[in-house]
Amino acid sequence: MTSKDFIIRNATRDDVPFLVDTIIEAEKSGTDKLSYSTVFDLSEMESRTYIAKMLLEEVDGCELSISSFLIAEKNGCIAAASAAWIEGIDGIPSTVLKGNLLNSILPKKCFEKALAMNLILRDLHIEYIADTIQLGLVYVKSDFRGLNLVSMLIDEHVCQLQKQAPTIDAMYVQVFGNNLPAIKAYEKVNFKVVMSKESSNEEILRYLPSNKKIVMKKKLFTE
Amino acid sequence: MERKEVMDQLTTIFRKVFSNDSLVLKDELTANDVDQWDSLSHMILITEIEKDFSIKFKLKELNKMRNVGNMIEMIISKI
Repeated sequence: MTSKDFIIRNATRDDVPFLVDTIIEAEKSGTDKLSYSTVFDLSEMESRTYIAKMLLEEVDGCELSISSFLIAEKNGCIAAASAAWIEGIDGIPSTVLKGNLLNSILPKKCFEKALAMNLILRDLHIEYIADTIQLGLVYVKSDFRGLNLVSMLIDEHVCQLQKQAPTIDAMYVQVFGNNLPAIKAYEKVNFKVVMSKESSNEEILRYLPSNKKIVMKKKLFTE
Repeated sequence: MERKEVMDQLTTIFRKVFSNDSLVLKDELTANDVDQWDSLSHMILITEIEKDFSIKFKLKELNKMRNVGNMIEMIISKI
């Protein structure tokens, strides 16, 4: 099996179950800590239900947008997915769009816990840079790793998003510091670490996979 | 409710959510202008606004708000 066997295509509503898997696995970042569960006091099953509902709202421009996702598949079998978007292309940051979805879809019981979490978690917040491509989530099923699918997905994201904004010359990804396989995979496709942020509050480890976030940047060629 | 009253009430909410007692609101203020305005803070901000003003925003309305000025107009249209 080689990468030539795969096609890359845009995700559709029919792909939502796999997109939910992608979001859950990317959020867990190789651990068993799912922030949707730890921060909002939801079971993994409940988290899956609400993530699917948010995706089906079809709000464009953030990590919970079906239109942000590409799928790698072979003979109808989905092997990988990734989400990328142009930050703030319509003048609204992706964090605001995601916050609007969270507000509209999650049950009100989630807010009490989130309120308490807010101060702890904002320690690790790193703003997305407007007018750059943000690679939000990537997931490759274990049977299909090592086939260069991440590189194929990234190339297609860049190709499609540069058609919308030809002057964009950088792509960024934020990774939890514990996720060394992801960091290595991004380095392999020419991402370089440009900054990191660490929280000294160890309580954060009860809710997130790591107390460290790393920002990686890939320079893009423009015409 | 007067625009100024809405702005004053919003200021109290913003200062509480962003833990910043010196935060000054103006119509042009956006998420990019405030430190730590992430998705979780935004979700809490909207929830607090809905609670305080006893209103409920639709998702489409939320996604049209680009700054505090838009937010005030939307709140006034609902109270």
